[in-house]
Amino acid sequence: MKKPFALIIIGCMMVIGSFVGCSSKPSNEEMQQLNDLKTEVTSLEKGIAARESEKADLLKSIAEKDAQLAQCTKDKQALQQRLQGVK
Amino acid sequence: MKYVIRLSLIVILVGAVTCLSFTQEKMSKEDWQEAITKLTAKSTELKSKLDSLQKEVTDLHAQEATKVQALKQCSDELAAMQGQQEAPFVAKLDAIDARLNELSKLSNQDLWARRAELDSVQKWINIAGQDPLSVIQKYQDRLKDQQSRLDGLKKTLEQIIASGEIMPTYTVGTWARNRDCLWNIAKKPKIYDNPFLWPKIWQGNRDQIKNPDVIHPGQKLKIPPKADLTKEENRALRSYWSKRREKAAAVNP
Repeated sequence: MKKPFALIIIGCMMVIGSFVGCSSKPSNEEMQQLNDLKTEVTSLEKGIAARESEKADLLKSIAEKDAQLAQCTKDKQALQQRLQGVK
Repeated sequence: MKYVIRLSLIVILVGAVTCLSFTQEKMSKEDWQEAITKLTAKSTELKSKLDSLQKEVTDLHAQEATKVQALKQCSDELAAMQGQQEAPFVAKLDAIDARLNELSKLSNQDLWARRAELDSVQKWINIAGQDPLSVIQKYQDRLKDQQSRLDGLKKTLEQIIASGEIMPTYTVGTWARNRDCLWNIAKKPKIYDNPFLWPKIWQGNRDQIKNPDVIHPGQKLKIPPKADLTKEENRALRSYWSKRREKAAAVNP
């Protein structure tokens, strides 16, 4: 008769213990803080991706302008020589 | 008794399950702390990277603005050098384009009929190529494109002739002015550019040339496609020379 009671007591202690042990959790405010931080990190990652894309576009545009400028300078020199030759 | 044992086992089971479910659903304080530390470090690192990128992008914007300014200045200077000559030059190029577009749309028959226009377009392209403005790359490209289109039309004409779809004609001039005989006609660059192909013209015009040594001014000779002499043409050539030898022998026995 003692054994079953002992088992019940052990069971009850485990239930209570589990509640007590598992209840060391972050509060809602702390979870909110964690979520805010996650959102901030995601937003920063998006911002970086956008800047990198903008940087790539700018580099491409600058390279195109450089090529156009080189061509324009070449055209100018060639035309100048030709016009001088004509005169 | 059994009932009590069962009840106690159920209670133990409920306790275990509850604990497990709590563990799975919610993170522990330690996990939270660890996640906060990691995320804070990551956030700091990302902010620093973003700042650095922002600075680079700002610098690049400034560089781009400088390039745009330099390009505008160069273009303005180039335009000033071209002065009033650009508009008429571009008009010439437009006229060449328009003529090429028109010729490209013609049927083979019509293209053949207007083949002389290809020569005039070629002249226009040559004249435009001598204009000082033709050294500018964009105009050079345009002239190259026009030349390539004209070459395509010339090739089409050659194919029309080679296929025999249309047989060109040649109007015989006078000997005094044009020195026209079958040999000289075949020798002309626009005919065969090869005098030895004269039997081809002879055989192509048997209806109006009985004796290949005799052709008359004003005769319209069909010019068969340029090719090696055929068996029949070679046979006719041998027969011609044989008759010539016989005649020569008769005159000078």
